[in-house]
Amino acid sequence: METVGQDSCGGADAARGTEWRPAPEARVHFRVTRFIMEAGVKLGMQSIPIATACTIYHKFFCEISVDAYDPYLVAMSSLYLAGKVEEQHLRTRDIINVSNRYFHPGSETLELDSHFWALRDSIVQCELLVLRVLRFQVSFQHPHQYLLHYLISLKNWLNRYSWQRTPISITAWALLRDSYHGGLCLRFRAQHIAVAVLHLALQAYGVEVPAEAEAEKPWWQVFSDDLTKPIIDNIVSDLIQIYTMDTEIP
Amino acid sequence: MDRDLLRQSLNYHGPSLLSLLRSEQQDNPHFRNLLGSVAEPARGPPPQQQLQGRKEKRVDNVEIQKFISKKADLLFALSWKSDAPTTSEVNEDSEDNYAVMPPLEQFMEIPSMDRRELFFRDIERGDIVIGRISSIREFGFFMVLICLGSGIMRDISHLEITALCPLRDVPSHSNHGDPLSYYQIGDIIRAGIKDIDRYHEKLAVSLYGSSLPPHLSGIKLGVISSEELPLYYRRSNELNSNSLDSYENIMQSSLGFVNPGVVEFLLGKLGIDESNPPSLMRGLQSKNFSEDDFASALRKKQSASWALKCVKIGVDYFKVGRHVDAMNEYNKALEIDKQNVEALVARGALYATKGSLNKAIEDFELALENCPTHRNARKYLCQTLVERGGQLEEEEKFLNAESYYKKALDLDETFKDAEDALQKLHKYMQKSLELREKQAEKEEKQKTKKIETSAEKLRKLLKEEKRLKKKRRKSTSSSSSVSSADESVSSSSSSSSGHKRHKKRKRNRSESSRSSRRHSAKSSSDQIDQNRKDEWFPVPANTSASFLNQREEVEKLLEKQDRVPYQKKQVKEKDRCPLSSSSVEIPDDIGGRSEEPRDFYNSSKTQAGSSKTEKPYKAERHFSSRRDSSDSFSRNSEDKSKMSGYRKVKKDAEGRKEHYRRWETSSVRYSTSPASSDYSSKSVERYKRSTYSGSRDSSRHEQRYQVSKNQGEYERGDNDEEDVKTEVPEDDGLSSKGHSEREVKKKLPQNLLNIFNQIAAFEKEKGNKQKN
Repeated sequence: METVGQDSCGGADAARGTEWRPAPEARVHFRVTRFIMEAGVKLGMQSIPIATACTIYHKFFCEISVDAYDPYLVAMSSLYLAGKVEEQHLRTRDIINVSNRYFHPGSETLELDSHFWALRDSIVQCELLVLRVLRFQVSFQHPHQYLLHYLISLKNWLNRYSWQRTPISITAWALLRDSYHGGLCLRFRAQHIAVAVLHLALQAYGVEVPAEAEAEKPWWQVFSDDLTKPIIDNIVSDLIQIYTMDTEIP
Repeated sequence: MDRDLLRQSLNYHGPSLLSLLRSEQQDNPHFRNLLGSVAEPARGPPPQQQLQGRKEKRVDNVEIQKFISKKADLLFALSWKSDAPTTSEVNEDSEDNYAVMPPLEQFMEIPSMDRRELFFRDIERGDIVIGRISSIREFGFFMVLICLGSGIMRDISHLEITALCPLRDVPSHSNHGDPLSYYQIGDIIRAGIKDIDRYHEKLAVSLYGSSLPPHLSGIKLGVISSEELPLYYRRSNELNSNSLDSYENIMQSSLGFVNPGVVEFLLGKLGIDESNPPSLMRGLQSKNFSEDDFASALRKKQSASWALKCVKIGVDYFKVGRHVDAMNEYNKALEIDKQNVEALVARGALYATKGSLNKAIEDFELALENCPTHRNARKYLCQTLVERGGQLEEEEKFLNAESYYKKALDLDETFKDAEDALQKLHKYMQKSLELREKQAEKEEKQKTKKIETSAEKLRKLLKEEKRLKKKRRKSTSSSSSVSSADESVSSSSSSSSGHKRHKKRKRNRSESSRSSRRHSAKSSSDQIDQNRKDEWFPVPANTSASFLNQREEVEKLLEKQDRVPYQKKQVKEKDRCPLSSSSVEIPDDIGGRSEEPRDFYNSSKTQAGSSKTEKPYKAERHFSSRRDSSDSFSRNSEDKSKMSGYRKVKKDAEGRKEHYRRWETSSVRYSTSPASSDYSSKSVERYKRSTYSGSRDSSRHEQRYQVSKNQGEYERGDNDEEDVKTEVPEDDGLSSKGHSEREVKKKLPQNLLNIFNQIAAFEKEKGNKQKN
């Protein structure tokens, strides 16, 4: 089980040398994390609790084989747990309702009968399992805070009109949220991910940091001392790989 | 599509992106049109730029371009821009909100030349600058800028940028002839940028607030202290003194970085909307999410159906008569779904059947509020309103009753019952008004007559009183046996007659209550009529415990009943003519209620000659008898089968009590002795409970014509009472209890006292029973 977990964790790294072909697990996780995000939006969760839920989920399946547990159940428990961790408490009833609707679009709401309570119990039980597997370490340092501070710093250095015209912050934010479809959050430091998504956002719109060529230190180095260009490139390419799955998986 | 953005990106990435875009977005009509036009300018300038860029970015650049081309429809969509307006740029950012960092260029160590160039490129009119005065000339002063107060936060302290503040832009301070004399070299000045000469790198600033854009107009320009310098500048100075500190260290040691609300705050500052989170994933475009799938909507739906289930169970319980269980189910349903219309209607119906009409009305109204088209809610509400209106009529709150009927009609214009009831009520109100006016006239006449004689009477009474006192002193020990036979005869006869009528009355009562419950205005019309009489001839002053009521009551009353002019007058004129309103009121009530009062009064009249002092008591007793009758009636009808009727009667009685209270106040005022009030409250209270028990509304319909007959007599009787009372003050100092007892002894025949004692015993018993 351990070895399988290792594979799925480092799967992206291993596969990158050759032609990209996401491992079957990666595809499952992509789908399930997409479910987590959609459910998160419908539950009114903010970005950080959703990020926590995804991290819990990914971390769980780093330790445990995909076949061992129903990934969707783990996802629901992750949502529930993340709500507790990030102080945005969710109610299991809402999670069950939203999930049920996700799996059976357009279906009627569930009756509050024994079946419903069984579902609820399974979520709570699974939550305990997840906690044990993660050894009760469920609080994470997310890149969100870093990214926002970087954006503010950059905004002051850039020309205000080009900043206004270019949706850099919104794109960077979207990229960061989407990055949780993969296990990026487990493999890289939060600061590095934040810089990488910012870098990709600037690239996408062809925005250059003024006087970058003349500077002693590139802007991304300022934000994180131990960051190197290859790391950024790694993160960016991993991120882009995640997006290729978006088109492949309906 | 945002053409400018697309062009910017194409210029940066070169033709490879263009070709990628063409292949990826060929299905997208927006791009097919755009790419043709965009391609033209893109081809011209980029080559050189592209060469430069290409050198730096290598392999991954292709990946990025592929990514851009795949997501181009999202990245360059017009809707992709942040919707939320960025929060205005007032530089009040305190340390607590987020980690305010020294400017980025300071970490990047960008040469001063470039910084200066970029400063003059990016500075805008209306920005706030902060600098030190370097020299003062006759045409103004020069300042060296040290930092910026709004717009862009740059590190300019070492750039030696000077700005001129011309004399005309320095506000004059009245004390100084020369505005410039106020300033000294080295002062820190906050000023607004007024003019920029980008080519010659010259700046002109102003100290007038008008140089700032509207959202910054609150900021004070002029001399500031060093504490007022922006935080970013202070941090930047700290960094200069310790240039080894890294961005990361400064940020993480900043208090604002660990602020739990930092993400929210910065999202607002950057204009990112968390309620509609952005994503570049096709499957996560939140605009494609259906509102119905959101948690709140689902919960609402689920709760509604769950609540409905409970209501169904409740209705089943209700049908088999398990009302408590039904109520529990309804309450449960409403707990689950506060606004559940069905539950509200069902509970309202249950309340209505249980007799809690007000609660029922509340529920129905709430249900209608939530679902204005609910037919049952409307229907039930109409019926309940009319029923409640009927109740109010019984309680003699006619205006309230009217408003209830009107409400019902507002809801349903075709609701016949309400219309009938309303018409009847109106008719009745008019009649009683007329009657009242007639009475008022009579009153006036009689009063004027009486005033003349009252002085004489007073004298007579005084004498008599003295005589009686002497007698009493002699016989205090055997006071209980002092009595007059007449009194006991009259009272016993009246009580017996009351008992005779008792059964009949009871029947009447239950009938009327039943009919009103049925809500048919027709069937209850008789009763309504009776009630109307009650309303318009308010009960005489019942000098019960509530005697001490305040004048507010009267005022309230005045407000309420000011359509009856004579009443008002009476209250006002009470000083002039000692007749209390109570005396006026007596006739209808007593006369209407039963015939014995008449007998009683007749007898009292005959007694008047022999001992006038007895009269007041009788009158008092009479007042109270009325009230008691209702009480005692309720006692009689206490059997379970008539629970609802009982309740109504209770209410009725209460309503009446209110009336008494109101009218009492007037009598209280003119009777100068509190003793008399005491006397009445104690002795009467006891007395009234007994003899007239059950003697209620036996023949109310007679009320009207008896009024005139009896009036004269009552009037006189009352007047006497008045006189006696004015005598009493001597006894003022005595304790109320002893006093009242003495009063009783003084005035009551032995037999009566015996009866009183019996009554008291009976009362006690009754009280105990009721408690049980």
